[in-house]
Amino acid sequence: MAAPADVRRRTIVTVAGFGAFAAAACLIAPLVGSLPISLARALDRSIPFADNVDAQVFFVARLPRVLAAALVGSSLAVAGVVFQALLRNPLAAPETLGVSMGATLGAMIAITFHVDVTLFGIPAVPLACFTGSAGALGIVYAISAARRRGTSTTVLLLAGVALSALLGAMVRFIQVIADIADTFRSVRWLMGSLDVASYAPIVAALVPTAASFMMIATLPRVLDLISIGSEAAASRGVDVPRAERVALVSASLSTGAAVSLAGPVGFVGIIVPHIVRLIVGANHRVVLPAAALFGAAFLVICDLVGRTAFGRVEMPVGMITALLGGPFFLWLLFRKRL
Amino acid sequence: MLIEAADVSFAYERHGRNVLDRVSLSIARGSIVGLLGPNGSGKTTLLRALSGTIVPDAGRITLDGRPISTLSRRELARRIAVVPQETHSAFDFSALDIVLMGRYPHLGAFELEGADDLAIARRAMAATATETLEDRRFATLSGGEKQRIVIASALAQASDVLLLDEPTASLDIAYQLEIAMLLTRLNRDRGTTMVVSTHDLNLAAALCTELVLLRNGRVLTQDTIGAALTPANIRALYGIDADVTMHARAGHITVVPVGRAR
Amino acid sequence: MKPESAGRLDHGGHGGESRARRSLVSVCSETRRALRGHALLAAIGLVAATVAIRAQASRIISIVPATTEMLFAIGAGDRVIAVGTYDRFPPEVDRLPRLGALLDPNVERIIAMRPDLVVLYGTQDTLRAQLERASIPYYAYTHRGLSDVADTMRSLGRRVGVAARANEAAQRLEQQIASVRAKVAGRAKPKALLVFGREPRSLRGIDASGGVGFLHDMLEAAGAVNALADVTRQAVQMSTEMVLARAPDVIIELRYTGGDETSQADVKAWDALPAVPAVRNKRVFLLQGEEFVVPGPRVGHAVERLSRTIHPDAWR
Repeated sequence: MAAPADVRRRTIVTVAGFGAFAAAACLIAPLVGSLPISLARALDRSIPFADNVDAQVFFVARLPRVLAAALVGSSLAVAGVVFQALLRNPLAAPETLGVSMGATLGAMIAITFHVDVTLFGIPAVPLACFTGSAGALGIVYAISAARRRGTSTTVLLLAGVALSALLGAMVRFIQVIADIADTFRSVRWLMGSLDVASYAPIVAALVPTAASFMMIATLPRVLDLISIGSEAAASRGVDVPRAERVALVSASLSTGAAVSLAGPVGFVGIIVPHIVRLIVGANHRVVLPAAALFGAAFLVICDLVGRTAFGRVEMPVGMITALLGGPFFLWLLFRKRL
Repeated sequence: MLIEAADVSFAYERHGRNVLDRVSLSIARGSIVGLLGPNGSGKTTLLRALSGTIVPDAGRITLDGRPISTLSRRELARRIAVVPQETHSAFDFSALDIVLMGRYPHLGAFELEGADDLAIARRAMAATATETLEDRRFATLSGGEKQRIVIASALAQASDVLLLDEPTASLDIAYQLEIAMLLTRLNRDRGTTMVVSTHDLNLAAALCTELVLLRNGRVLTQDTIGAALTPANIRALYGIDADVTMHARAGHITVVPVGRAR
Repeated sequence: MKPESAGRLDHGGHGGESRARRSLVSVCSETRRALRGHALLAAIGLVAATVAIRAQASRIISIVPATTEMLFAIGAGDRVIAVGTYDRFPPEVDRLPRLGALLDPNVERIIAMRPDLVVLYGTQDTLRAQLERASIPYYAYTHRGLSDVADTMRSLGRRVGVAARANEAAQRLEQQIASVRAKVAGRAKPKALLVFGREPRSLRGIDASGGVGFLHDMLEAAGAVNALADVTRQAVQMSTEMVLARAPDVIIELRYTGGDETSQADVKAWDALPAVPAVRNKRVFLLQGEEFVVPGPRVGHAVERLSRTIHPDAWR
């Protein structure tokens, strides 16, 4: 039977494997696309940037896109893992508790009412997005904290689902009253897009994501414990309310950052944690880093497919993940022979 | 006394009914105390109060003379372990994973389980005859196997008190006997103090050294088996008439209900 | 035909022919009988119908901006009693009640105003059904290519009873477009990208015209080749890589509201892609005006403006 040293070694090898996969995806993806380019030419400093098509394709069109995909995939996958442990449900997702919908509402408001503020160089839509997600988090947090006697994840779940529905209704209302041109922009945003074309939005999203990951790094063992029951965790010495707060805030932060960067990209937060758990087991010490790495690779590849597999046009990444999501769930269903 | 509760009251809602109403009891070191009472009498709430999961509105609970509210969660977990009625794992943890979770209160913030933690876990599994289940997925185990694993997890916590909430409620008669024998052996070999809430009067009679009878959140009586388990008390608690006799072969009192109280 | 006679003949050809002739004769005689008996009623009906058609289009509601402009341009503007939410031209529409648009037509108010013609979108099935139930005639407008604008003007004119004036207006429009074509005929056609949507201050969310639809037609009439001519869609969502791949010589951004300096300054966002010929040669333009988004009588101006932007030397 396994000694701790063996388990540790296996963990390191597995995580390293995922890391290699993610690195490979991120290195190869900027080289592939509808326009053939040569890496040598792109990196050739003797050609002035303004004339170097290959360099522009590589550094403006593709590289930011790959980095954004990696960041968004990573943060949504990790958020998914945390939400699933928090809600003790492998079908929970970053979208479940309304944080994603809050971000969407923020974006809709910014687009429809032509909000035009910029903070630290961050334009209105991502700002509004992040504010919306923070607002939704605040509401869910307040509702679950208002419970007098301990916490109940049922209350958390219900509050989140109700909030999500309410915010979704508000989003639809705004779409109805919007000008036709704004509707176009809104619909476009809702499909999700990784084509950021510059590095500033990525750096901006990196800040809350890094904060979130640092918080989550304190949680793996605690997530194991609360996933078998909040009283089971409490009787083993876990400060359950505090753990739930940290989990909720950190997962919401990374979700908000991801949606602000790329719009709502669904299914990543469910598919990736599932696949990762199938490969590495349930221990969150392994699942979390593996999900971060696999999530990055997953979304980089989905975006690659979206921009190369459909001939002259590109398919938004959100559509690719949705196309994968449905069959994925069917496969899960059949696997469990329900 | 190892654990003492003095005038403990608790209500779940702000102005709701007191689920526990000035409950006082004392638990001696090395004893097996049974909590008996009908549904809604406050057994589970009392166990929650004893384990520190809930904080009483009034009254005090002490462990070795110290109020448990002054102990940190980790300290308390090192002294008191809980075996709930059912444990459900949302993810595919192995049986060993579940047992190892009992080591949490003994580890530092970022400390990983070491070889000795693993050894303790394995010994706990041996004590509950579950060594062969180590790599099995917890979710696929039978009810009896699951309970034994959860007990092993509680044993791995190396606490001197074990609180069990209806440990045999969902088990068949064979497993009921098995768990009862296991708990008796643990108490005898390790001196673990136990508080067992149960519906099963016969199990209580077989297993416990004394009983606390609860009704409507109040203690009806705390006494030895013979003194507590009387037809009068049973009528007061459950409203039924029962035959209470000493069973020679089983070696303990048995209770047989014979009809509704007139 | 009487069922008994149908079964009697069992070989076709000659027998069948006589059966058909027999049926034709019986139908004709029945009709003569009917006409004689109902001639008076028929005559009354015919007159009533003529009167009704002519009287039908005096209270018109149009919730489509394009048809509203058309109605005013063909001389039926005084009969328009209500318009849609997004109708902005001519200025007279500001005095008229607004009854919704594509997504939110105010059915109750529309019916309450007792119109005798409602011009709506061809896709508004629910509204159509409700108008049918209320016995209100409607004209279903479908948004198509550039040449359909003049055709729609004529068709509306006939429907409303101003056929002659409508024809004149349509001809003027066609001549305007034809003269633009003539102005730039024989000149080299640059590859142009017609962008109608973009996130401000960045190159995200670029929406451009594909090889189908009236924006594409306008571009081609103005003397350019659509960089996305091979894409058989009206709207194409473009990524920065696609822009680099298509390498347009001219980029024209269309905005239909606002007209301030910040919009013009926003064109700088394209400087992130200096390898695009349009950016390198400073041929990125921003044009503002409703005529670009409303496929109505003002498209002639739109085509001319596009042409002046693409071929400035042809218009000096």
